[in-house]
Amino acid sequence: MSSLALVGPETATVPATTPIPLPADFPVTWAEPEDAQCLWLRQRMHFPEPMKPLDEWLLRTEFEGAQRAAQLYDLPITSAGRRFNTYAYAHITPMPLSPAAWTAQGASAQEKLGAAMGRLHERWEGEFLPEIQQILAGWAAFDLSAATMPALVEHLDAVIIARERLWDIHFLVWFPAYTAISLFEELYCELFGGEDVASTSSAPATSSAQATGVEQVSVPSVGQAFDAYRLLQGFDNKTIETTHALWDLSRRALMLPTVCQALAAKSTAAVLSTLEQNVEGRAFLADLRAYLDEYGQRGDKWVISVPSWIEDPTSVLKNLKDYITQPDRDLKAEMAELATTRERRLIGLRQRLQDYPQPVVAHFEFLLKAAQEGCVLTEDHGFWIDFRGWYPIRRLFLELGHRFTTAKVLEKPADLFYLTLDEVRTIANALANGLPSGTRHLLVAGRQAETEYYRGLQPPPAIGALPVTPPPVDPVSQAINKFFGAPPPPQREPDILRGAGGSPGIVRGPARVIRTLAEATKLQPGDILVAETTAPPWTPLFATAAAVVTDTGGILSHCAIVAREYAIPAVVGVGIATDTIVDGQLLEVDGAAGIVRMLTAG
Amino acid sequence: MEIVWLGHGNCHDCTLVGGKGANLCHLAATQRIPPAFCLTAAAFRDWLPTGGEVTALPAKLSAPLATAYRHLGDLCGVAELAVAVRSSAVDEDGQTVSFAGQHSTYLNVTGVAAVAKAVQHCWASAHATHALAYRQHHGLAIGDIPMAVLVQQMIPADVSAVVFSTNPVTGQQDEVVINASLGLGESLVSGAVTPDTWRVHKRDLTVVEVRLADKQIMTVPTPGGTGQRPVPRWLRTQPSLTPEQCLEVAQLAVHLERTMGWPVDLECAYRGGLLYLLQCRPITALQVVP
Repeated sequence: MSSLALVGPETATVPATTPIPLPADFPVTWAEPEDAQCLWLRQRMHFPEPMKPLDEWLLRTEFEGAQRAAQLYDLPITSAGRRFNTYAYAHITPMPLSPAAWTAQGASAQEKLGAAMGRLHERWEGEFLPEIQQILAGWAAFDLSAATMPALVEHLDAVIIARERLWDIHFLVWFPAYTAISLFEELYCELFGGEDVASTSSAPATSSAQATGVEQVSVPSVGQAFDAYRLLQGFDNKTIETTHALWDLSRRALMLPTVCQALAAKSTAAVLSTLEQNVEGRAFLADLRAYLDEYGQRGDKWVISVPSWIEDPTSVLKNLKDYITQPDRDLKAEMAELATTRERRLIGLRQRLQDYPQPVVAHFEFLLKAAQEGCVLTEDHGFWIDFRGWYPIRRLFLELGHRFTTAKVLEKPADLFYLTLDEVRTIANALANGLPSGTRHLLVAGRQAETEYYRGLQPPPAIGALPVTPPPVDPVSQAINKFFGAPPPPQREPDILRGAGGSPGIVRGPARVIRTLAEATKLQPGDILVAETTAPPWTPLFATAAAVVTDTGGILSHCAIVAREYAIPAVVGVGIATDTIVDGQLLEVDGAAGIVRMLTAG
Repeated sequence: MEIVWLGHGNCHDCTLVGGKGANLCHLAATQRIPPAFCLTAAAFRDWLPTGGEVTALPAKLSAPLATAYRHLGDLCGVAELAVAVRSSAVDEDGQTVSFAGQHSTYLNVTGVAAVAKAVQHCWASAHATHALAYRQHHGLAIGDIPMAVLVQQMIPADVSAVVFSTNPVTGQQDEVVINASLGLGESLVSGAVTPDTWRVHKRDLTVVEVRLADKQIMTVPTPGGTGQRPVPRWLRTQPSLTPEQCLEVAQLAVHLERTMGWPVDLECAYRGGLLYLLQCRPITALQVVP
């Protein structure tokens, strides 16, 4: 039986499901009757806030990309993302296949995924990244403000198609990268955990002809998982590069007293205007702008309706301010230490593996390489696709918003985000053909009100239906579960919050509850960052925060992986952290145990 | 004579080196068998007066053992050689009665002190209740059981196989049966793992049947001994032997049956592409089908 799909439905018919009762204040109309049979989980990790209508296009196309990539790997899953009552939900559902079909497809998926794992870096550098960069270069070359409306419409249609390809690539990378990391952790715990029989104890290797059956191997601890991940750390990636470049900027600032003074100003506008006032400041500003051009094509999280760092560098300036309060720290040396530790441990492990069966050693080396390459790609794919692939689209929509405002369809450009993509295309086509396009002021107002209404609601964690049969335990599902995390464990004690271990270490500090990057200005060095989720644009904060606590995510979430690279403790998937903890509350974070102790009252 | 070397001197004398040692000795010159020495039944009798306790070795044994162990290391080019210490009872591995599994094997033993201890544990197990019960059942002498101990270079097997030159279940004489799995042979021999099975037609060495198992457990050397580990997920249903290796193992079984003059029960191991013979004994409890 294929080891990629060990558990499957017993019959070829659609498996039985139990409908999840909907809360009275959360009505749902299913577009297709089959949708009601899927388990839709709230996508709080990527989209914690109510989504604007245009952002739904992003959500839909992302999960469509996941499904297409799954098909290419013969992974027997379907996937979709939808906005329900302004909140993002998505399902990843195993296909209803007969056991024979399941086995056959699982074997094929194992082969394809395995082949992809063996070439992660090679394929990224040689095929995917060049293709991505070509698409982005084409987008960058298009002069938005000078384009005629028909040309804009054509460009919009081309962008829609090209974005689909970008998200195919996103998941063509995601599946093998995360599955390799998850499989490597599993293999590590299997090979280096377990019960050993001492050779000269009273228990010899084989003392009886009677079969003892399969002996239980000890259950791996989370500590062992972290040991496995230590072998993947210390490689450069685009997220770390983003932080290091900012760190370098801060070292330069430290040598320029007028720049440090300017950075101390309260508002972003004040900082920038002060820097304009002298030669040193202007030179620094040029460096800052260069930094933003390269690394600033990103915003708070994953929606296009938030401003980029280029448009509003407040969070970048905030990080610079914090970095210059650490003049003696060598961030790069700290990261280099991770690489040294990794290699030292590997020498020891390879020695232990010397006498293991050769096929096992070869398999270890295969998964190690794949997981190391995969770890880099967990951040690099986001840099290029999630964010570099985001900013030109935002600019396009802002340009369309500007045109629509001129044509009196909207009151202001940002209102465009309250339209759906279809509505945008309809209006744009009308304008391009000189046809009447009407106005959408009332529609936008209504949608704004809807978004604000649902902001005050507690959305259900899941809608649709629960499957009756248990979900499969194949490696891809396990990787997905480690990425999104399990639901938080029951909270038993009044002053303890429990989640999953994300990065080991124990630290105490004052909490700072931060929901948006704009709020992050209140984070002080030594604070414990408490958030619903931390997207890659948040990770420069990890050089300031003493620890991180998030409501969402698992041991392979961005937050956990990057926290390990910064060697700060992290507890993820707590669920109620931002609702329970208050600013200033003294916390103790135990990253290995996944526990947050509230040492003072809220 | 306390110590005899495999392939030298009186190594073929079963009363000295036990059945296991004698069988291997017969083959030492022509087969790839890891070098070994044997503590003879005489050494066992020297040890008996200590009352069967595992303590310091009697003086007349400790020096020869240390020298032999060092020499074994020299032969293999390793200072502190990892060895297998196996019991070899004087009437063990005989034609009608096999003590397979009833005595002790200690794997991955390093250093003279550990070897001495392992040897004594083997001797002590000769007194163990289950061994005595087995002898009672088969009508053998209950007195002190002469015991030899084999100290052999341990091969950290990539794949281990147990091979029968006739089918031990059906009694068919025209078939070789091979059971194989990853790692040291202990998980095979103890039944902890369900191995892959090949049935090979003896005359033309064609494969009659392959049954691949979900091999969940392997035994590997660990510091100071061995341990059981899960077989990595993606290797569990991969064949443990290549077709070439299956052929080589079947050929070995056929050849040894001819050489010894009786159907053989083999334990062998692959390491670095080379096939090593570890044990060779007669198949017992055979229903002979004409």
